[in-house]
Amino acid sequence: MSLKSQYTDLKASFSSKPPDLQKCGRLLTQLKLGLIQAGLLLPQGDLNQGDLVVAREILEIGAFWSIRTQDVPAFDRYFSQLQTFYTDYTTLPPSQHEYAIRGLHLIRLLTQNRIADFHTALESLPAAALESTYIAHPVNLERCLMEGSYAKVWSARAEAPAAEYEYFVDSLMGTIRNEIASCEEAAYESLPLKDAATLLFFASQRELLVYAEQRGWEVNLNLGTITFAKKGEETMDIPKEKVIAASLLYARELEQIV
Amino acid sequence: MAPDIEMKPADKKEDDKKKKDDEKKDSKDKEKEKEEPPKPPPTPVQEIKANVALIERAVEALEPRFAHRALRTLAALRRRLNDAVLRDAVEELFKDSPTKQALLAWLPEAPPADTAMEVDSTSNVTTTAPTHKAVTTEPLPEVDMYLRLLIIHHLDSSSSTYSKAIDLAHETVAKMQALNRRSTDPIAAKIWYALERAYELGGDLSDARPLFLAAQRTASLRHDDETHASLINRLLRSYIHSNLYAQADKLISKTTFPPAASNPQLARYHYYLGRIKAVQLNYSEAHAHLQQAIRRAPAPTRAPGFWQAVNKLFVVVELLMGDIPERGLFRHPVLEKALQAYFDVVKAVRTGSLSQFQSTLATHAATLSADHTYTLVARLRQNVIKTGIRRLSLSYSRIALRDICVKLHLDSEEDAEYIVGKAVRDGVIDGKVVHDKGWVECAGAGAGGAGRGYGPEVGDVFQRRIGYCLELHNQSVKAMRYPLNAHRKELAAAEGAREREKELAKEIQEGDLDDDDIGGDF
Repeated sequence: MSLKSQYTDLKASFSSKPPDLQKCGRLLTQLKLGLIQAGLLLPQGDLNQGDLVVAREILEIGAFWSIRTQDVPAFDRYFSQLQTFYTDYTTLPPSQHEYAIRGLHLIRLLTQNRIADFHTALESLPAAALESTYIAHPVNLERCLMEGSYAKVWSARAEAPAAEYEYFVDSLMGTIRNEIASCEEAAYESLPLKDAATLLFFASQRELLVYAEQRGWEVNLNLGTITFAKKGEETMDIPKEKVIAASLLYARELEQIV
Repeated sequence: MAPDIEMKPADKKEDDKKKKDDEKKDSKDKEKEKEEPPKPPPTPVQEIKANVALIERAVEALEPRFAHRALRTLAALRRRLNDAVLRDAVEELFKDSPTKQALLAWLPEAPPADTAMEVDSTSNVTTTAPTHKAVTTEPLPEVDMYLRLLIIHHLDSSSSTYSKAIDLAHETVAKMQALNRRSTDPIAAKIWYALERAYELGGDLSDARPLFLAAQRTASLRHDDETHASLINRLLRSYIHSNLYAQADKLISKTTFPPAASNPQLARYHYYLGRIKAVQLNYSEAHAHLQQAIRRAPAPTRAPGFWQAVNKLFVVVELLMGDIPERGLFRHPVLEKALQAYFDVVKAVRTGSLSQFQSTLATHAATLSADHTYTLVARLRQNVIKTGIRRLSLSYSRIALRDICVKLHLDSEEDAEYIVGKAVRDGVIDGKVVHDKGWVECAGAGAGGAGRGYGPEVGDVFQRRIGYCLELHNQSVKAMRYPLNAHRKELAAAEGAREREKELAKEIQEGDLDDDDIGGDF
């Protein structure tokens, strides 16, 4: 069957080094059409186990492929399609890629700062999953992020368990940099340029200067320092309308009681 | 004792009703009453019969209140059930009919010796049995349902009969849906619970989910509040049981929990909501829901399991919000033992010692994962650090980053710098980092801290409290019940008063012309 041959073709071209990403993409689109026709893309009811395993593997390859091609929305789609296989068809033999893909999804949530979704997704995993390196990696990252140990997040880049993780970790760095910058604005009055560069993980001073301009920091090149503009004390207003509304409400309720 | 007290008026009322019908029956009932006083605790069979009487009355009077009263004793009754009791109850309540045969088929035929023993202990019942057989006419389907409910609960109590319990529950649900009588609603809610329990014990809870979903739709369409509430809770439990928090959240956003639901259901619902919100990091909402659950829960001694579970979660959520739970909570007799692990966690968080926290987490890991709170507690790590930094900032006006590192057991000075920076930004402490010198300057409590707490948030808190009190008042006004038709009397009285007033007005009007009358009136 053509579906079968396409599947083996996809597997071969994806595992070849370096993988032929364009060809994979073409094959994936055809395969997905095939899966829809066979009713396997969004499986319902009892289906042949072997077919389901193949469908799952195709989708898994698709998920990895979408990250290699840096197509994050496609990854989200593949992941939600895969979830049916992971959660509803528990009778299938467990996939070796399941944790890797779930881990990627977790990191993806981290990069978007969707911490609530991150925890919801994490909670739905069995306890054994936490021991897998694929899952432990994002969990550690989240913990460091929440603590504020950004240096650890930076060094964790090297510990990524799979090549696909690096793509997300890089975009994670952008998030972190903004976090650090906002912390610095609050916690420092001024910083030497050199230290600021190390704190923000910039390799060269030029990148730092561009970044400083974006955030509107005052850079004093002669002294070699950055001065952060102190925000003025926020003046506290008395919320008049709110107080009046509340008082009127109390009056009305009291009237009802008495 | 409560069932006994409740039972008597029910019997008496029945007496009154049937007095006119039959003299003989009355005398027999009186005999029964005479027998009762020396035996204060009623036997299970008696209790079942009393409840059946209540249910019958509920159906007759179209007043679900009585059925609720009958079901209230369920929890206590459940523990005292056994084959013999149930068989006796069925034998006595039903005449020879297909319903009776169907019910008896679910109970194992006990060996004769066994029954003899049971008969001894419940001799009172067997003597009155024949009389009652004469009294009851063909029992209502509600009674059938009630007995089925009891049998399911009984089958749930031993592992060998779980599959039977599931079968019976299925049959009962099918029968219930075929009947489609609104008077079965209170019992139906309990039957769904029994079905869930049977599934949870005997098989996979997720198998029952489609069934619940379908039934939930029907219940919602029929405005069957009690069943609807019960089914939403069943579904939530089933989702949370298999850790499907996303689905549970969606279910909540798509359904409205019936406000007329009973307190226990509401308490459960709040507990599940609190759990979901806590997982989603929405701690303040979780806190509010758990507080509601605690307030709505039955007395701790009556439902210790629920009370403990809610409080465990409550303690964790409170810690996650950055508050320290009250010490008194851990001294509560029901909670003291159950919350031991949490007490240690609280101590570690309070002192802000990361190493103590890690060791506590390690020692209690098994307990916490059994409670499904391990991941939540693990999130406390950052709170421990925050507490630690806060304590340092209060006691030092200037501290080196290296010392922070040592005191909080952090890995490196670099980490410490970032962590302090984050703490400043999040408003945990007030201060600034002096990078060149490698220290942190902490602003004392005098500058920014003193003004805190007297801003608009005080008004908000006040408003929340007043709002709660007002709602409590309004709810209690709504919950007041008045005897049926009592207002007719008042209406009649009011009518009369109005009539008199009219007459008076007429007289006055007429009297206007007549001076003597006015003079006479005043």
